Amino acid sequence: MSIQTSNSSGTTANGAPFRHLNGDGVRDYFAFFRLPRKLDLDLAQLEREFHQQSRKLHPDLFTQSSAEQQEWSMEQSSRLNDAYRTLRDPIRRTQYLLRLEGLELEEQSETATEQVRASGQAKKQIVPEDLLEEVFELNMQWEELRMNKKTGDSDPALVRELEGQKVSLEQKQEALLEELKSYWVEWDALGDTSPLEARNRVTAKMADLLNRRSYIRNLVRDVNAALEN
Amino acid sequence: MSYSDKVLDHYSNPRNVGSLDKSSSEVGTGLVGAPECGDVMKLQIKVNPQTNVIEDAKFKTFGCGSAIASSSLATEWVKGKTVDEALQIKNTEIVKELSLPPVKIHCSVLAEDAIRAAIHDWKKKQAPVDELARAEAR
Ligand code: FES
Repeated sequence: MSIQTSNSSGTTANGAPFRHLNGDGVRDYFAFFRLPRKLDLDLAQLEREFHQQSRKLHPDLFTQSSAEQQEWSMEQSSRLNDAYRTLRDPIRRTQYLLRLEGLELEEQSETATEQVRASGQAKKQIVPEDLLEEVFELNMQWEELRMNKKTGDSDPALVRELEGQKVSLEQKQEALLEELKSYWVEWDALGDTSPLEARNRVTAKMADLLNRRSYIRNLVRDVNAALEN
Repeated sequence: MSYSDKVLDHYSNPRNVGSLDKSSSEVGTGLVGAPECGDVMKLQIKVNPQTNVIEDAKFKTFGCGSAIASSSLATEWVKGKTVDEALQIKNTEIVKELSLPPVKIHCSVLAEDAIRAAIHDWKKKQAPVDELARAEAR
């Protein structure tokens, strides 16, 4: 991770060299936009860099070039687009940085759940304990809703309650994003020279928040599904 | 995947589904979730204050068939045991009894966790008030 290449080396604001290769030895997305590995990004600068580099890679500029060069420019463009989309989104940006820092996050997605059910392997996802009570309640209500459907009953009060739960879950999701942003600030204040424990403490916090967020997001998805069918 | 006959039996005819009065001092409630799949399980015990014997147990599980069978079995097993005996129940015994395949081991872990959580909750309620106060003062 500490390999430096002459064409893309850079320094952070405080003068410390920042690392800019990801695990595969490819320039990471931050370096792509000549940005330090920080989370509270200047989105305007990101956008400017994106447009500038897109222009440089425009296929029209390569019509006379060799097939090899054309292919290279295509590859770079698609990477550029991936990089832009990843860094522009607050959640994906954080996930990406955590991955660069060596943390694997696993999605509590439906497919991941099914895979785990099929393989029996433990997924690295902690159940947010303070949410259990709520999850249990939600499950009770879903069950009731399903029963109602079966018997052809309708219970508007129950539906209203579930809708209320959905709103409160969405608010929680928002609140988690705000909390996440407070850790961005902490992270950004650290430099490459900061002690590993300090860095790890912040990345672990962020990973925890992202896990909670994806757990809640899945609950929202389930509430929606329950309300729909 | 095919479930064993015992799992199917507990699944289609679960024992002790329901709930006990959460606020009673004789009742301990354990609520646990499986990180692997997002399933949740609630297990409650009612303990005789004189003998420390678990006189009743109820559960409600939202999860797979193995989780439902594991918790159903767990309530059967804890009944009639003292809390200390119930703490000895291991998930591996549940696995064996229900012939759970390796991919379903976490479901039995959930049941063991639920027993522990319920007993823990009950013990917390038993701690004499002054002892609690002292612990908090520390
Ligand atoms: S698959 Fe989750 S508890 Fe069984």
